[in-house]
Amino acid sequence: MTALELRNVSKVYGDRAAEVHALREVSLTVEPGALVAVMGPSGSGKSTMLTIAGSLEEATGGEVFVAGRSLATLSRNERARLRRRSIGFVFQDFNLLAGLTAAENVALPLELDGLQARAARKAALRALDELGLGSRAARFPEELSGGERQRVAIARAVVGERRLLLADEPSGALDSVNAEAVMRLVRTACRGEVAGVVATHDAQLASWADRVVFLRDGRMVDQTSPLPGPESLLTPSDRK
Amino acid sequence: MSTAVRSKPAAGSANSGGAPARRAVVRWAWRMFRREWRQQLTVLGLLTVAVAAAVAGMAFAADAPSSPDASFGTAGHMLVITGSKARLAEGISAASKAFGRIEVIYHAKAAIPGSVNSVDVRSERPGGEFSAPMLRLDVGHYPGPGQVAVTSGVAAIYQLRVGGVWRTGGGTLQVTGIVENPANLDDQFALIAPGQIRDVGQATVLFDATAQQLRGFRVSAGAQLTSRPQHDSGFPPAAVLVLDTIALSFVGLIAVATFTVLAQRRLRAFGMLAAVGATDRNIRLVLLANGAVVGCVAAVTGAAAGLAGWAALVPRLEALVAHRIDTFSLPWWEIGAAIALAVATAVGAAWWPAWAASRVPVVAALSGRPPSPKQGRAFAALGAVLLAVGLGAIAMAHQGRVPPLIIVGLVLTATGVLLVGPLAISGVAAQAGHAPVSIRLALRDLSRYRARSGAALAAISLVTGIVAAIAVSAAAAAQNEGSPGAVGWTNLPANQLMIYLSPDGPQGTPEVVPARTAEQLAQYQRDVTGLSAVLHGQAVLPLDAAIAAGMPVLQEGPVNGRPTTMLGKTQAGGGGGRQPVLAISQLYVATSAVLRFYHLDPAAISPATYILTARSGLTGAKILDFGAVVVGCKAAVSAQCGRPGVHPSRQAGGNGPDRRDLASPAIQVAGLPHYTSAPNTLLTSHAMAALNLRPLLAGWLIQTPAALTAAQVTRADHWAAANGLTVETTTGSPQASLASVSEKAIAVGVLAVLTVLAMTIGLIRSETANDVRVLSATGASGCTRRLLTGATAAALALLGGLLGIAAAYLGIIAWNRGVHSLASVPATKLAVLIVGIPLAALAAGWLLAGREPHGIDRHPLD
Repeated sequence: MTALELRNVSKVYGDRAAEVHALREVSLTVEPGALVAVMGPSGSGKSTMLTIAGSLEEATGGEVFVAGRSLATLSRNERARLRRRSIGFVFQDFNLLAGLTAAENVALPLELDGLQARAARKAALRALDELGLGSRAARFPEELSGGERQRVAIARAVVGERRLLLADEPSGALDSVNAEAVMRLVRTACRGEVAGVVATHDAQLASWADRVVFLRDGRMVDQTSPLPGPESLLTPSDRK
Repeated sequence: MSTAVRSKPAAGSANSGGAPARRAVVRWAWRMFRREWRQQLTVLGLLTVAVAAAVAGMAFAADAPSSPDASFGTAGHMLVITGSKARLAEGISAASKAFGRIEVIYHAKAAIPGSVNSVDVRSERPGGEFSAPMLRLDVGHYPGPGQVAVTSGVAAIYQLRVGGVWRTGGGTLQVTGIVENPANLDDQFALIAPGQIRDVGQATVLFDATAQQLRGFRVSAGAQLTSRPQHDSGFPPAAVLVLDTIALSFVGLIAVATFTVLAQRRLRAFGMLAAVGATDRNIRLVLLANGAVVGCVAAVTGAAAGLAGWAALVPRLEALVAHRIDTFSLPWWEIGAAIALAVATAVGAAWWPAWAASRVPVVAALSGRPPSPKQGRAFAALGAVLLAVGLGAIAMAHQGRVPPLIIVGLVLTATGVLLVGPLAISGVAAQAGHAPVSIRLALRDLSRYRARSGAALAAISLVTGIVAAIAVSAAAAAQNEGSPGAVGWTNLPANQLMIYLSPDGPQGTPEVVPARTAEQLAQYQRDVTGLSAVLHGQAVLPLDAAIAAGMPVLQEGPVNGRPTTMLGKTQAGGGGGRQPVLAISQLYVATSAVLRFYHLDPAAISPATYILTARSGLTGAKILDFGAVVVGCKAAVSAQCGRPGVHPSRQAGGNGPDRRDLASPAIQVAGLPHYTSAPNTLLTSHAMAALNLRPLLAGWLIQTPAALTAAQVTRADHWAAANGLTVETTTGSPQASLASVSEKAIAVGVLAVLTVLAMTIGLIRSETANDVRVLSATGASGCTRRLLTGATAAALALLGGLLGIAAAYLGIIAWNRGVHSLASVPATKLAVLIVGIPLAALAAGWLLAGREPHGIDRHPLD
């Protein structure tokens, strides 16, 4: 079963004269354990593709399958449940909830899914430990650095039994060192049953992916495996 | 890397996440409230004040009015017997036989040296079966044989102290304590032990009785039977609750605007919540929980403040209302309702913003973009329906007799206006195409952010609606006041003064006119004329009452005089002369002077007319000669039935007082004053002759060219006291009071509207700060920016004024079930609302706004 499948997905914003074609019949398949990078200039439709794949908005045409389930057949609440259980999002600007500690932010999807707070917190602490943030679990977002916030966001995106990790410019607001660290974590997260799609316009970061697809004006114009460059020396051993 | 979770989600949480999800969301809402409570300070403060005022107001309404306990204790009836010991014993024995359990309080009088007044010496058993609430020991102990306890007033008169000795009536009593009547602190008396009283002159018998027992009881001569009043006067707590509802409706609308802004500020957070799997219900719960927290905090704080304020006020209030108040004997149900209403208001106010936030697409929410405004015709239609239902509920409230319907009506009306408002805003914005750019932008911005501008508009509409309703009602009342035949609201016009020979004045119905010699009356006439001159009086009108021919001079308490005829109704119960009587009006004689004073043409009076009156509703009224009742409780020595509303020409009758005329004396409505104490019911010369009555000078009416001043009233009072007469002046003009209330309401309304505008215009304009920056970049001057803010405020004020006045007129029509009260339009006051306030808002916006924005407010999540 594929983790994510887009079949001729289109997305049009606005009406008539104000129509904007954000996506035009884009098809993409992501297998479990794979990490796909989506590259393209601003306005090419990268973020739109991710939000449609993550059920945050609906496609105008085509079909989207997540873990084998068609999003078109799901109600609003069922899509919400899918996001809680199967899809993890990482955003450029972290999107952590002020007012909740790092551990509570990570535990949030589990609690929203009905898990008791104590069990959710345990799972959250485990996820934070794996990302080296165990000591920062009780801190509020404003008490964390940018890199730490994005790691917390990644922990929130992978906690539980997620099947699909979607990251929209996850390193866009970070310096190069933190950006590399974040991509390393995303890469590490995509193993076994978990697949990932990362939107970026940074070729160096895209090189962490198994496959790179290129979008321009809403169309998929090309896809390829990244060329091994100098950064391949930094490739984690488990990629090989 | 993926962290597996072994625990299963809670049962029943397939879609919504169940209780754990709700707990997580509420926890976040609580944390956010703790962080952002300052932004909700306005709503918190207003709700707190509303609850505090409601709690204190209800406590006041419940405890301030005097209680019948002051005279009745816990008894349902009271029989006061005056006379000799034998008469007292006879009356008490009869009461005991008729009613079973009775309690008797004996009274004697103790002279006050150098004064004509006396002190009531009371023999009463402490903790008596009925009288317990009428007696409390403040200091010392209750008296035994040879002892006395006195009230503080009596102690002051006789300069007594506990442990001292009171020499009175040739005897000596040791003062053992200070007592009081907690239900009437003005009740000054000396208490002695039961059985110790000498020279008893009066006995009060307290008892409970059935209606059948009362009907079978024959009131003996010299006794007066009184039943406990059934209805407490005053402003009931339920009425305070209605006022509280109005205030909370206003606060609720402001809260809607505040929570809408709060929702907008948290929009990205809501988007994130949705992105990680929160359902619409979870998102709504965040704001509803916030509303509940705001409501609970305000309710608890307000209730505590209200109770503390009440507790602090009680000692001063006791002195003011002259009875003890149990601080915590409060209308707890109504207070609980006020608290619940405050919480419900906050939660209700959060509902709409919560619902709107949950409908924002996730991606739009994540980017912080507010939803594009929709026409909202469905909401407007719903608003119209709610408005209609609300007005219907007000109409069915029967002018306040069904308070819950008033509350429902007010809430639904306010909600209806809230929902109709946005459509009105978009309608105005649609017409803005040809307006100058600032006004065009202002109107379109109101339309773009109609969620919050709609709430502000509703709050303004509510305030102006209430103010307009008061102004229109006051105008209608003023017009009604001036119409002939209208039921008077007060006792006298402000430029008239009544002087009574009777020491009871207007309180005694029938008046007992003291016996005076011709020389004394002549002297009084000269004195009254002198007083009139001092007051610059225009006219002095002697007023004659009527007495039965041969009526002897009787002793009634301190008055040695003759009871006069009156108009009254005998009530069911008893038979023949024992029927209880309801006084309607004192009767005066229609002398030629009186007729001339009121410009009545004697020729226009039907020869068969017995009574001339300005009053209506006199069905069953009788002319009663109460002399025997006053003195000996033998009711209705002579009584004739009246048939009001029938024109004299249709009355059968001849020249003589035949039996038919006696049974149906003609009543003719005439242009007499409608004030309750003015001579509004007159006996014609035909009635005087037919009933064998003769006139007796009872007093005078002085009319001055202008309203009497306080100094003039004081002067007249002093003059009357010096001459042993009684003076009555107006107890207040409702017309003047209503005009005053109306003017104050306008002032408060203007302030409230400007406050709402100050609170909301900033919020609306802050959302468009970027537009203003673009305007500045394209060369717009400060004048344009100022006009932008001023026009936004003025447009909201104008729309709110128009909607509010329309709602007020609809509400008044519903309340009165007709348009008869709308004949008089308070044009000036309405102009203030729909012209003055918008101009003030424009000026304030112009003066206080216009600074160039430094940047765009953005509230990142972290």
